[in-house]
Amino acid sequence: MTRSQPTDPPIDLLAAVQGEVSWFCCGTAWGPCSSTGKGACGTCNSGSLQHAWPNTSDACWSITRPDSCGVSLSRRTCGFQHRITSLCGGGSVVTSIADCGPQTDLFCGERSCCGSTCASNRLIDLTPAAYSRIASLSTGLRPCEISTP
Amino acid sequence: MQGIAALQPYVISLFLLWAALLKLLDRRMRAQAGQTALAGLVGPARAVPALRLVGVLELAVAAALLLPPPSAAEGVAAAALSAGFLGYLAYAHRVAPTSSCGCLGAHSRPVDRRGFVRAGLLLAMSLVAIGAEPYPMDPSLVALGLAEAVVLLGLSAELDRHWLTPLRRLRVRLRRPLAPPSPGEVPLEVTLRLLYLSPAYCSASALLTSDVQDTWDEDGLRFVAYGAGRRTAVFAAPLAGGDPSAVRVALTEVPALT
Amino acid sequence: MTSRRQLLKSALLGGGAGVVAATALGSLGPEAAFGAAAPDVAPGAPDPDFAEGRIRSVKENTLLVLGSNMVFHRIRIVDGTSLWKLGPTTFDQAKPGDGLYARGVRMPDGVLAAEAVWLNIVNIKGHVRNITAERIHLDHKGQQVLCHRVPGKSVAIYSDAPPSGDLSLLRVGQHVQVMGAWRPDTNEVDIATVFSAH
Repeated sequence: MTRSQPTDPPIDLLAAVQGEVSWFCCGTAWGPCSSTGKGACGTCNSGSLQHAWPNTSDACWSITRPDSCGVSLSRRTCGFQHRITSLCGGGSVVTSIADCGPQTDLFCGERSCCGSTCASNRLIDLTPAAYSRIASLSTGLRPCEISTP
Repeated sequence: MQGIAALQPYVISLFLLWAALLKLLDRRMRAQAGQTALAGLVGPARAVPALRLVGVLELAVAAALLLPPPSAAEGVAAAALSAGFLGYLAYAHRVAPTSSCGCLGAHSRPVDRRGFVRAGLLLAMSLVAIGAEPYPMDPSLVALGLAEAVVLLGLSAELDRHWLTPLRRLRVRLRRPLAPPSPGEVPLEVTLRLLYLSPAYCSASALLTSDVQDTWDEDGLRFVAYGAGRRTAVFAAPLAGGDPSAVRVALTEVPALT
Repeated sequence: MTSRRQLLKSALLGGGAGVVAATALGSLGPEAAFGAAAPDVAPGAPDPDFAEGRIRSVKENTLLVLGSNMVFHRIRIVDGTSLWKLGPTTFDQAKPGDGLYARGVRMPDGVLAAEAVWLNIVNIKGHVRNITAERIHLDHKGQQVLCHRVPGKSVAIYSDAPPSGDLSLLRVGQHVQVMGAWRPDTNEVDIATVFSAH
């Protein structure tokens, strides 16, 4: 059977959690995005302030598996809001869940730094509209802090 | 021709046996049942029971094909199963193009042309098997059976990681298709990545309102200018070496690029 | 251009006129860290200061863009707008058919005065199916995307190692993130950066 939840308490339950943030396109837009569609929640658009979260459902968790990188995250469903703060400069944006992702397990242990501040593991993906509020799209991947607004 | 017909039940049954055992015993495959096109067809909650049912069907047809005496009904059953596979693949390709097949082991690759060719080949072999009668096996038939099995395995994307990926890795190691860069050449992205790691960029990034406006090399330094509202932030990073703390920054009243 | 570069260079190295804050070595002090706060937008809602779509036409300094939600955007390129197309580029490189993302300030007349425009930028994750002459065959959500190495531009980041123009350490079978420039109406991408966890 699929392990639906890790046994440890989620690390984001009581405090902010640090990890890597990247961006993804959605909403049947141009380029390789054309087949992406509106995401797991059916609402995802590149131009909206939204994000993908690795634990939106059992099926989502079985794909993203952050627990295989030693990270347990809370179950949070479509529409739940997170504040994502850049560890580089401190800019932040509040976004809502619109898709399942990123696939944390495929990049276990990866680390991004800014100055002497680093964060490991891909925990969140933002839409281009949200990501470009806290960093340039051409950076591709940055360290961040995830909290509830 | 009689010999070829008599051979097919063995090849088909071994293939079906393998597929059935994976569906019934492989935990990883059952864990991923929810992401297969089968889940789209019967609903996520019924994906695992449906997978088991298909496994039992495959096992039954495989056993009937293997056990003597051969009969036309066994070939018909195999053909019906293969036709069902083809229909399922067509459904998956049309309705759930990003879902995996759930046919022969856990993998996330959607249904592709090879899957259709494999199911088509199974169907053709099953139709030939309808006319099977007892026939003594000889080395040439065994060789043909092996060849058929190899083709079926080669068409199975589920097995690529065991042979195709290592083969491609070996070819990449021998041929080095991604040539190393010219010495002395420093792509701008290398400098920008150094910049992103630097305390200087970290302190100024909240002010930046644009991406790179201008960049140039001078005196062993690479200068990179960004818009910072009505001002300009300019960074200088050494072209040689990779020490992020050597990056400098200034916020100036120099107007935007004209 | 040269005089502007000289001004910027002297500001940085010589503390020339017009310097607001500078460092001989290191970072700016906290007093310099102010920025215009972005207007509040409800989470989940479209950001009015952002636009996405494909360029339909280019007139003078304005891009007419059709969004994937079938909404038209007029995007004005102003002094100081940065343009990206596999790296910093110039306005004449913006062509009809290019996909784009733009961030700026929405003017009362509905025009987006752009601060940054990214042309054809994509950021995709996938599985390296094969590597052939100067190309990575990426399996991205079941679609094959052909990613081209561009000499002098493409770099690879192997986890903690310093970035490098050497992509030869990438392996068939691994997962990577490719940030690059899409070639319009193809399944091909020119690589700016490949992120590899290992």
